Amino acid sequence: MADVTPALRPRPQRLWRIVSEPLIRQNPVTVQILGICSALAVTTQLATALTMAAALTAVVVMAAGIISLIRHHIPNSIRLIVQIVIIAALVGVIDQLLRAFLPDISRRLSVFVSLITTNCIVMGHTESFARRNPPLPAMADALGSGLGYSLVLVTIGALRELFGSGTLMGQPVLPTVEQGGWFEPLSLMLLAPSAFFMLGLLVWAVRSWRPEQAEPLDFAPPLRAEEVLR
Amino acid sequence: MRRGLWDRETVALLLIAAVLPMAAAWLWWGGAGAAGRLVWALAVSGAWHLVFMLARAQPPSFAGALAGFAVAVLSPEAGPLQLALGITFGMVLGELVFGGWGRNFLHPAAATAMFLGFGYPTAAWPALVLPVAWAAIPAVLIGVAFGVMPWRTAAGAVLAGAVAVTFGPPGLAPFAAAGAVVLALIVLDPVAGAATSVGRWLHGASYAGFLALFATGWVGVAPVQAAVTAAFLAALAAPLLDEIAIQAWLMQRRRRHG
Repeated sequence: MADVTPALRPRPQRLWRIVSEPLIRQNPVTVQILGICSALAVTTQLATALTMAAALTAVVVMAAGIISLIRHHIPNSIRLIVQIVIIAALVGVIDQLLRAFLPDISRRLSVFVSLITTNCIVMGHTESFARRNPPLPAMADALGSGLGYSLVLVTIGALRELFGSGTLMGQPVLPTVEQGGWFEPLSLMLLAPSAFFMLGLLVWAVRSWRPEQAEPLDFAPPLRAEEVLR
Repeated sequence: MRRGLWDRETVALLLIAAVLPMAAAWLWWGGAGAAGRLVWALAVSGAWHLVFMLARAQPPSFAGALAGFAVAVLSPEAGPLQLALGITFGMVLGELVFGGWGRNFLHPAAATAMFLGFGYPTAAWPALVLPVAWAAIPAVLIGVAFGVMPWRTAAGAVLAGAVAVTFGPPGLAPFAAAGAVVLALIVLDPVAGAATSVGRWLHGASYAGFLALFATGWVGVAPVQAAVTAAFLAALAAPLLDEIAIQAWLMQRRRRHG
């Protein structure tokens, strides 16, 4: 989350910086480790991951815009309740839309669309950014973190579907042994632990590429014998 | 010789010497198929040790060969590509990312076998011939005699296993052979297990307890599968057992000395 004070007028470059910052450098999932629960649950297939990513991005952008518009009228003592009511109303609308137009995917997503209400990314960005900034930067910030979340979800969803069942969006990509091909699906990929492994490997890859994201060591390792004797 | 004779590689070489009777029995009864599997497992495991030596300057260890042997004996009989993928997972995520042998908390062979078991549920778990299980007895004795295998873990497992076979429900005996092999190859690894005296007794006993539980309650389980799963769960519980032992010791000390 970039620091934009209300006094500063939003300029295109600044807005672009707010949007692009959470994609890799401040990614909500790989750096701040937020929204893990749904990243594990809905990524067995690319289609569900894409739907979930789109739903969350839509909710967080709209919620940030609405909360930012009424930010001067929200009493401080009940701000969380007001925010949750707004977010929950938006989630309800999205959930009904999914049920109406994508019933199959909606059934596979089960409760996880409703659980967007309590997603740390949505709550965190409305509480810490949208409450203090004008609508345009607030929505840009929400869009950036929504897209950062989507990037991780789509990556993990694509890898899990590809290696777990040899398909992408339901279309066969790697011919499986059952269909006379060579690829033997790794059923571990369809189980929840594999999402932990993929997420861990993704965090490892991103932090090797950008070492400044790595956390400091918890403790310094003791000196080796040669170093003490020297 | 500046740091003495006993470094990590001495321990690894003695462990390899200890499992040689098992390796001989397993190769004798397994034939060319077993030898091919062993060579392939050693090659993949060694390649990852080489990668981590070049990329992270981690000294390679003979323990990689030990883990490769354990994988060849114990992991489900998937194809060579799947086996390589499993060893990659078990070796890298089970041991090498932590800094190499000595800093891991899970046995890479156990991680490999579990990965293959969950990843390819159709692959059959290996059936062990009885001579390999008999060879596990001298293996454990050699390891314990040289002090490279924790005798308390072995004693805890043997005692709890004997109690389970004697007083438990019938049908446990077929699992004893696989249990002995997994005990020698995975549970008695000096790194991936409990480190306190009390914790080692409990670790061994919990391994035998899990094995007895799976043998009676898990319908359709292969003996090796039950034993590897029991070893895996016992290794996960080992840090907790150590913590319990340390806290009990601290409380005792506080009561005695104020």
